[in-house]
Amino acid sequence: MNARHARWLQQAALWGRWLENAVLFFLLGGLILLSASQIALRNIFSTGLPWADPAVRMMVLWLALAGGIAAGRDRKQIAIDVVTRLLPDRARRIADTVACLFTSAITTAVAWHSLRFVRDSYAFGDTVFGTWPAWIFQIILPIGFAAIAYRYFLRALMPEPDR
Amino acid sequence: MIITGLLLLALVLLGAPLFAVIAASAMLGFNRSGIDLSVVAIEFFGISEMPILVAIPLFTFAGFVLSESGSARRLVRLSNALLGWLPGGLAIISLAACALFTAFTGASGVTIVALGALLYPALAQAGYEDRFNLGLITTSGSLGLLFAPSLPLILYGIVAGVSIDQLFLAGILPGMLMLVVLSGYSFWKNRHVRQSLSKASWTEVSGALREATWELPLPVIVLGGIYSGYFAVSEAAAVTALYVILVEMIILREIPWRELPRIIRESMVLVGAILMILGVSLASTNYMIDAGVPQRLFEIIDNYVAGQAMFLLAMLVFLLILGALLDIFSAIVLVVPLILPVASLYGVHPVHLGIVFLAAMELGYLTPPVGLNLFISSFRFERSIVDVFRATFPFFLLLLVTVVIIAYWPGLSLVLLNLQ
Repeated sequence: MNARHARWLQQAALWGRWLENAVLFFLLGGLILLSASQIALRNIFSTGLPWADPAVRMMVLWLALAGGIAAGRDRKQIAIDVVTRLLPDRARRIADTVACLFTSAITTAVAWHSLRFVRDSYAFGDTVFGTWPAWIFQIILPIGFAAIAYRYFLRALMPEPDR
Repeated sequence: MIITGLLLLALVLLGAPLFAVIAASAMLGFNRSGIDLSVVAIEFFGISEMPILVAIPLFTFAGFVLSESGSARRLVRLSNALLGWLPGGLAIISLAACALFTAFTGASGVTIVALGALLYPALAQAGYEDRFNLGLITTSGSLGLLFAPSLPLILYGIVAGVSIDQLFLAGILPGMLMLVVLSGYSFWKNRHVRQSLSKASWTEVSGALREATWELPLPVIVLGGIYSGYFAVSEAAAVTALYVILVEMIILREIPWRELPRIIRESMVLVGAILMILGVSLASTNYMIDAGVPQRLFEIIDNYVAGQAMFLLAMLVFLLILGALLDIFSAIVLVVPLILPVASLYGVHPVHLGIVFLAAMELGYLTPPVGLNLFISSFRFERSIVDVFRATFPFFLLLLVTVVIIAYWPGLSLVLLNLQ
């Protein structure tokens, strides 16, 4: 990998992190405001936004995947590190590479099958909230898993530094 | 099949994320049964069909904000003003304050960092023995697990399909039992510590009260709102999140706005990690139930285990081992769907099962090799894991006794439900 590629990857990582933060910010902010306004509307005006509850549920799904992508970058996915913690640096790097390649392969497979699921949903014209096409909300599945696959592939190429 | 199982286990031990391993096992299973693999995506999409799930990001975020603010310090000051004059009182304060803080911040180890750092030197200053302090603080890091609105309680409710309001009620008495037993031990162990940290002083009490004016209503709003039926759990979560932003960022201004993206990211990374496991587990659980795994599990267990009493014993042993190996969130998501049908065949109430499950997993925070509290204490107080474990051991044994009581006395968990 030459210097130009390295710089390009660094820039991509910077934008990627910024994008993750922005998405998480708006999803969580939206969740708080939407849920709180539902309570206010119900108790003060005895009314509510009919689309708010399904919207909140979709936002939680998106938050799960956006958080999952960010967790991959921050090395915070839940894993068992009892064994790897005890390994010497070299062995630990090999274990990490194997684990990352495996994760990348599995998430690629999940992304692919998610894409097929979304494609079918699009073809059948599935809807949610009454009239909205379901694929708009489901599209986060292939995107999310593909992003995680990409993250772990990069990690497999660039193992974590020595302790 | 055994070979794939071993291979997946090896990957877990190599440090592969659990969600990827669970997804792999679900896909292998569905593939063997000839089911189209897009079922994994369909099951994951099921996350959007659980309205209660929104409580998880909201409570987690609120907990992260609280732990970044000065609320831990104010909580300690107030408890100290109220109870500090009592000999042995500081130990009891520590237990109670940590339990409250843990219930709100979700037992992610943050209690030890936020409160332990204040209490540990205070305990030393008051003349308590160092090893006792280390054990006490380490144990307290997961003590509030059974109190509302703790994250594991909510997650159990979601996974088991049990009313979260009922779980919140059921956790009160067993949680109190743990507090009382540990307080009693602390009191007895330190009966010779006559020097109290502070004298009773009304000025200090009123000063501490004034300082905590804004945070004091929080437990009242949340718990009162939920227990009175005024808020649903997910609404209480939204109110809590909004309230902590209002208090810590706008009124007290302890957390600058530029810190907000970082706090959101850190809390949502935890949420994402938990929900990824939940999402893929929906698929793997579906496969296992289709394949009749709980039924077969019951048949196997039934050969060795006769009756509820023996089943509970076997389950406790299993959960202690599980808790020593797996974090509480993965354990709930992976094991509860399998154990729940088996337990109900032995006549264990699902709410009672939840309390026993979480109480037993609470011990997992204190057992090597993955006991989270041991690591955080070891890191925070710069002591070896072995030191921390030794210091924690008497507390661990006492909690073990309370877990056995909780398991064999269903009434303790269920009596408040029956009052409703």
